[in-house]
Formats: sequence, structure tokens, C-alpha cells
Amino acid sequence: MNKSLGKSLLYTLPMFLITFVFITGGKPDFSDPANSIAILLTFLGINALYFLMHYTGKTDAYRAILFIIFALALSFTLISNIIETRSSMSFSQADIIECKIPFCHLVIPMMIIPAAFTKSIIFPGSIIGGFADISAMVVIWLVATIVLGRGFCSWGCFYGGWDDGFSRLRKKRVIKKISDFWKWMPFAVLIMVSLTAALTLVPTYCDWICPFKAVTEFEKVTSVESAVKAGVFVSLFGSLVVVLPVMTRKRIQCSFLCPLGAINTLSNKVTPFTIKIDKNLCNDCLKCVEVCPLFALTPDGIKNGKVSVFCSKCGKCVDACTKKAIHFGIKGIPAGTMKNFSRNIFLFTSFLFIAIFSAGSIVNTLKSLLNLIF
Amino acid sequence: MKKIKIIAGIIWAILGLILILVFFPGYNRFSSAASKLPFMKINPRYTGGEIAFEEISVNCTLITRKPVFNGLFKERKTGFVQIDWRGNIPEKIVDTIDFDADGNPDFAISIDTRESTTRLDPWSKNVEGIDVSTPTSYGWAARVKLRNERRIRSNEW
Repeated sequence: MNKSLGKSLLYTLPMFLITFVFITGGKPDFSDPANSIAILLTFLGINALYFLMHYTGKTDAYRAILFIIFALALSFTLISNIIETRSSMSFSQADIIECKIPFCHLVIPMMIIPAAFTKSIIFPGSIIGGFADISAMVVIWLVATIVLGRGFCSWGCFYGGWDDGFSRLRKKRVIKKISDFWKWMPFAVLIMVSLTAALTLVPTYCDWICPFKAVTEFEKVTSVESAVKAGVFVSLFGSLVVVLPVMTRKRIQCSFLCPLGAINTLSNKVTPFTIKIDKNLCNDCLKCVEVCPLFALTPDGIKNGKVSVFCSKCGKCVDACTKKAIHFGIKGIPAGTMKNFSRNIFLFTSFLFIAIFSAGSIVNTLKSLLNLIF
Repeated sequence: MKKIKIIAGIIWAILGLILILVFFPGYNRFSSAASKLPFMKINPRYTGGEIAFEEISVNCTLITRKPVFNGLFKERKTGFVQIDWRGNIPEKIVDTIDFDADGNPDFAISIDTRESTTRLDPWSKNVEGIDVSTPTSYGWAARVKLRNERRIRSNEW
């Protein structure tokens, strides 16, 4: 326990004020009761989680709550928006021709080569102004990946929450041994989808692989090809997002498939924030290796006091370490020093990002649920 | 050196924090600026290509777009031309299209919008068949598959 109630409240105050401005838009409007309650619950919930992070000294447990709620809320918002405009979760040829497909950050790896050579985006969405437009998502991802590196995968990605949620359902792992060789798989997927997308000018990952099509939108099943695609989406979602995470307590889709995760892994080299291991305190119990959901920690790495670039700074290892040897850090600052300062800056930055990014979807979901109940 | 590294790390971390702080208030400006980048336009394979001609009639406008053959480095051997009917489309659409504006119609297209059936009569050897024919929010759109004669000829040479 951090125990200092006053200090924790003081740390929460800036987050409280900033999120108040963003969630209410600076001008609270209480004319719609459902909207007002949804805003109030979101605002209080988000700030309660941030306060608890400071008060208890634990990070991952409270981050995961917001992260998982964000994943569910975003899918709810997206699906309800799609159903409202199309009366179905599936999209048709007309939606493609009219460029009405919502854009998500997973398309980014596939648009880089075609954007360089054809000076255009190979996605049937809107550049600006539409629902989930391309420029907005690109900018959000770019800023997050520069500042947080692969932290985006645990503090921003609205799909990661699905994986994260299912990986927490069982207390004990059923499958204990998985070769961490597979953590290089996203790079293979990244190369494959980037090249195939460049050659065909079709976002192949979205078209054929993305497991999250199962919880967002998918091509209308009108042919054998579209039926096969739907089968692939559902099978991959079932196996990589639900079954394997439940059995391994690891984020299998994020670790072994996601091509954007591979790019974010590379951007971990740029971000100022990192996880540090204080070898003076570490007793090599390897509890951190066991709990790491993304295979970022290895016994060899722990021996050398190093965390790999696969780390998403979720804080699970930090919470699990009984010796407080593993902690949030800033590059350049030696391990074991300025621990609180580093944690406070990282938490404020990353939590502010997810709080503001997720608030709209959470408010929208709560409002819809309240309207449904009352 | 150690101190410089520490100071650089702290400055970079604080800059990151400031970037997140200013990003959300300036979000609309940032995304508006991003939308003006030279590559920020949708590929013609999705938009259907630039408009070549418009033929306005009483209730409906016939829009013929430029053929789309674009590939990553050079034009492809096959592509499509998109035709849009905007406005109050009739139950039966019958049109002849001269997409290359050489004075000779390239194909005739007839669409039963109630039955959602489309018939194509190719009058040019480069017209291959119907790719897509679908109702849209603005009326109807059809994509007709084409052979890229220029590309095929250049390969022959």
C-alpha cells in the first residue's frame, strides 16, 4: 500500500481536472439525464482507477479494468453505429464503393508501401470527417506510438482489451509451456501483409485475417470466398483471442499475430519510457517471466537485467515482483533510481491517453445501456 | 555522460507528456493537417476513379469515370471503369457508354433496379464483363471489367 491518501489525491487532481474538461467538453450539459449519468459515471470511474493506482501502488489491475471496458465499449459503439447506418454488422459492395468502411489502426502496416509508391491510401474509408476517419486514427496511433512505444498495445489499442480480458479469466494456466520463438511471428505477418497489400493494393490483413472482424464488421456473406473469410475471422477470434488466452493466461493474438504490434515493438526503441530491473533487489524468482502476457521477459533477460522490446509496459511484472526489483523507468536513468518519479510521469502520460481516448466510447455505451434499461 | 543521459531521458519523457497533453486539445488541427499530406487520398480502386464525363437528364445524372488500371509501380493489364447513376434512378436503366471518348460506344448496359439484374453487351474487345452492379445511397453504381490495351500492347512490343 502506498498509504498516503493525501499524496494520492494530490496526484489524481491534475487527471481529475483534465479529464473533466475533456469528458464534459468544458461545458457540462445536464439536459439529457442518461447522458449526464453516463458522463458522471465515466468521469468518476476513470479517476477512481487512477487514484487507486497511486494509492495502492498497483498498476496493471486498474489499467486492465479500463483497458477491457474500452475494448467492450468501442466494439459496442462501432457495432451500434454500423447497425444504425446499415442495419447489419456486415458491409456490402456499395459500402466499399462509397468508401464508408470505418478505419482502424490495424490497417496502418499495409498502407505504408502503397502510400509511398501510389501516393494514396488503399482503404475504402473517409480521409477526414466521417466516422472513424483515416487521418484521425493515423494521428492518434502515431502520437501514441512515439510517446508510449509498444505501450500503445496495453494503454491504447481497443482490440488488445479483448485478449487481455480473456487471458485473465482463469487463475491457473492450462498450457504452461509455449515457445517464445512464436513472438517473432508478428514480424513475419507484418512482412507478408505489407507485401501482399502492396502488390494487390488491397488491405489483405483486414480482408482475410483480422480476428477482430468477428466483433466489429465483416464482408456480407454472398459467395464461397466471403464465407471462407467469415470462417477465418471467427476461427482466429475463437482460437487466438478467446481459447488460447484463457488456457495460457497470455495475450496470444497480440503476441503471435498482430502486425501493428510488430511496428509498435520497433517504436519501443524511440519511446522514453521503459521497464527496468534492479539487479541488487532481484532474487531471480522469475515470477515476472511467468506473468508477462507478451513474452517480453525471459530468464536470460532477467539474469542480465534487461527487458526486451516486446514489452508493452502493462505493469503486470511490476505488480507481481515481491522484491520491488522491477519498476517503471525512463531511458537514461539507471535501474533502481528515481523509481517514483519515473512511475508518476509514465502513469500520468499513459493513463491520460487511454482516459481521453476511451471516454467517448464508454460514455456512449453507458448512455445506450441506460436508455435500454430505463 | 551519465548525468547527460539522465537529463536527456527526463527531457524526452516530459516532452512525451507535453505531446499527449497538447495532442487532444489540438486533435482536430492535427488530423486536419494530416489529411492534407500528399498521400492522404483514397486509391482510385476504391473511389472508382476521377470523373470523366457527366450526362445530366431530368431525374438522373449519368457519371462515367476514368478507367482504373493502377498498380503499385505501373498500370495493370486489367482494371475497371465505374459508371454511376445519381438521383432518382428509373426502374430500368439502359445506357450506352463510350468511356474512352473515341466516338464509338464501348458497351451497352441495362439494369433492372427492382430485380437487381444487370446485362452487359460489350462492343469493344477490351470490355470483359460486369465486376460490380449495386444500389448505392445516391442511386446505382456499376463497375465494368476492362483489359488495358495500352499495357497489353507495350508487353507485346
